[in-house]
Amino acid sequence: MSTAGDRIELPDYLPEHLGGVGEPAPRDEVRLRVTPLAFGRAAKMLHGAGARLVTLLRAELPEPAIVGAFAMRGDLVVLRAPTGQADVPTYAALGTWWPAARWPEQELADREGVRPAGLVELPRFTRPDADVLDHAVSGLDVFSIPYGPVRSGVFEAIQFLIETGGEDVPRISTRPLFKHRGLEQRFRGMAPEQAVHVAERIAGISSVAHALAFSQAVERALGVVPPPRAECWRAVHAELERMANHLDVIAKQAEATALSVGMARFQILKEQVMRLRARLTGSRFGRGVIVPGGVRFEGRVQPGELLGALDAFERDLVRDRRLFLKTASMTDRLIGSGRLPRALVEDYGGVGPLARGSGLSIDARHERPYGDYRRLGLQIVTRRETDAMARVLVRFGELGESLRILRQSIDRLRRRGGELAAPLPSGGGGCAFGWVEAAQGELVVWVELRDGLVGGVHVASPSLRNWALFDHAFPNDVLTDFAFIEHSFGLTPAGADR
Amino acid sequence: MLEWVPRGLGQGRVTTRYPREAETPPNGYNGPVTVLDPDRGEPGLERICPTGAIRVDERGRIGLDRGRCIHCGECVRAMPARFAFEERYETAARARGGLIVGGVDHTDPQPLRQALAEQARALGRSIHIRHIDTGSDGAEEWEIQALWNPYYDVQRLGFFLTSAPRHADLLLVTGGVTAPMRAPLERTWDVMPEPKALVAVGTDACSGGLAAETGCVAGGVDVVLAVDVYVPGSPPAPIALLHGLLLAVGLLREELVA
Repeated sequence: MSTAGDRIELPDYLPEHLGGVGEPAPRDEVRLRVTPLAFGRAAKMLHGAGARLVTLLRAELPEPAIVGAFAMRGDLVVLRAPTGQADVPTYAALGTWWPAARWPEQELADREGVRPAGLVELPRFTRPDADVLDHAVSGLDVFSIPYGPVRSGVFEAIQFLIETGGEDVPRISTRPLFKHRGLEQRFRGMAPEQAVHVAERIAGISSVAHALAFSQAVERALGVVPPPRAECWRAVHAELERMANHLDVIAKQAEATALSVGMARFQILKEQVMRLRARLTGSRFGRGVIVPGGVRFEGRVQPGELLGALDAFERDLVRDRRLFLKTASMTDRLIGSGRLPRALVEDYGGVGPLARGSGLSIDARHERPYGDYRRLGLQIVTRRETDAMARVLVRFGELGESLRILRQSIDRLRRRGGELAAPLPSGGGGCAFGWVEAAQGELVVWVELRDGLVGGVHVASPSLRNWALFDHAFPNDVLTDFAFIEHSFGLTPAGADR
Repeated sequence: MLEWVPRGLGQGRVTTRYPREAETPPNGYNGPVTVLDPDRGEPGLERICPTGAIRVDERGRIGLDRGRCIHCGECVRAMPARFAFEERYETAARARGGLIVGGVDHTDPQPLRQALAEQARALGRSIHIRHIDTGSDGAEEWEIQALWNPYYDVQRLGFFLTSAPRHADLLLVTGGVTAPMRAPLERTWDVMPEPKALVAVGTDACSGGLAAETGCVAGGVDVVLAVDVYVPGSPPAPIALLHGLLLAVGLLREELVA
């Protein structure tokens, strides 16, 4: 890291007249200081140069500032606009011309007291009320269905206001944040090793991903490098979690078509993964193993046995996948349903299997590789069809890719001995972003540390970003396609709401 | 399409025989935390627990509230001679006090597994379940859904999911109650016909868990409605849930007989 006096070299892909001042930053982060007045203009130039909006937040370190994070050319470009002593900081809103910024800006306004000038007001976004129905479509036969927050079946709380004439769906309005638990505030004052328990509970089905993103942010802020053996185990736990999530989505697709045997088969495969994780870590969700600095303990299954379990799993998976893909009653419902054109996904900053199903090769493991993914040589699975089937095929492809990564990591574990965790410096301070590719998509976490304790935390959840696209997922679809399209998104309200 | 038939039959039986037969977790499973040595708790011991589940009373006896415990293992790692994970699934209790171990023994006498199996039969093998999420982390939903997968298959015991609260006998609530979910929760419970029972699923539903102090969550579900069965755990495993369901069925039966 350069000293304060040095001029920081800026990457040459940045627009020429961006006008920010480079600042020292951890690897793969490019920090630029601008004035609040220039923030909107700089963001627009980044947008023009092909950047993807990750999140907007209000930071306290290294000084109070409005921060925008953008993914660009394998870096995380961080625009920092110090706000000085302003009570109600402001800047020119991005949401007027960048749809991806609308939800983050409303949260900034309601939760952080930042008032962007020209904010696209979304009333009640952060204070959802199940009984307030706003109608946008008028017509003799159009009626509104408030679906949720109490759903049919066992699903998390979220509401969809569906306006329909019975068949086609002229408008869907997605209302998340029914279960906002204020967990970002819960981190404050905790030691990083304990705060990771909060991260694990932001989205239970992505416990490992959240623990890892938080831990990597802490490590990057403090300049700690986890030992190689810890990185191997982290990849193992992360890929097992991805497999459980993808299998869950596929089982739910089979359930939605009433393909009972298919559903049972994929539920069995998912349960096998969950049980393997319970044997490895003592928790069916892999909780308690990831810690800032490394991992807490060795996996409790011998590498040889682990490989045997994966081989048996793969034999079953290959047969079930073949049957699934040739069952016309299944695939007919998915092909052509819920099309999300690539340009639309880009406008909303969509990530994960959803973006990859629309032809975008976005994957945090590849764009800004972390841990062992720097060496593992990831094959990104993308499809161009943009429909629900494409998203399912991406998940099938990634199941195979996860198995390959697992085998490689287990092989490394046999050869790589050594420590499991690097100690964190006591009383350390700093701030950094950390990221992982969760099963739902790119997860980015901002962490501030002061005197060795966690201060501000901001979670940019893939679920929240992708849900903004759900409003547009019914271009030619009918109401009965709802379940297929929703499951093909594969998101978690808990992660979105935090 | 027809090929699915041999594929399904080829698997053989994977379904658990619980509650007829016991089900034990794998070695090293992070089950309920137990206090091995409840006497002479040193002052300041409470601080190792991030959710305040550990209390030391004035006589120095340690009590642990499983309704607050999130199985994070901070106490087990710091004091392995004092605290340990038990390798078992069942954690549910019919009273909040039944979740407190160590200190004073509040443990309520629980029917044995065999008795629970009888109870499941007694209600005509038809219990309809409705679920509502009032602010969970999403893991509880996965474990409830798992109850209907081939490994647990609770339909064999007569448990069915229903979408209509008006047809439901049991209400499963996950998560501490957030402000926007309070009214939907109350309304769902109100329209359920008597006799009915409410099961709080997971530590968050029992006490609010880690979210209890953020100001966004009311606390446990019992702040809003009376809870009949508490199933702590972060999240409770499917067998732990099934145990809780069977306890709740016992309550329904008592009400019907009375």
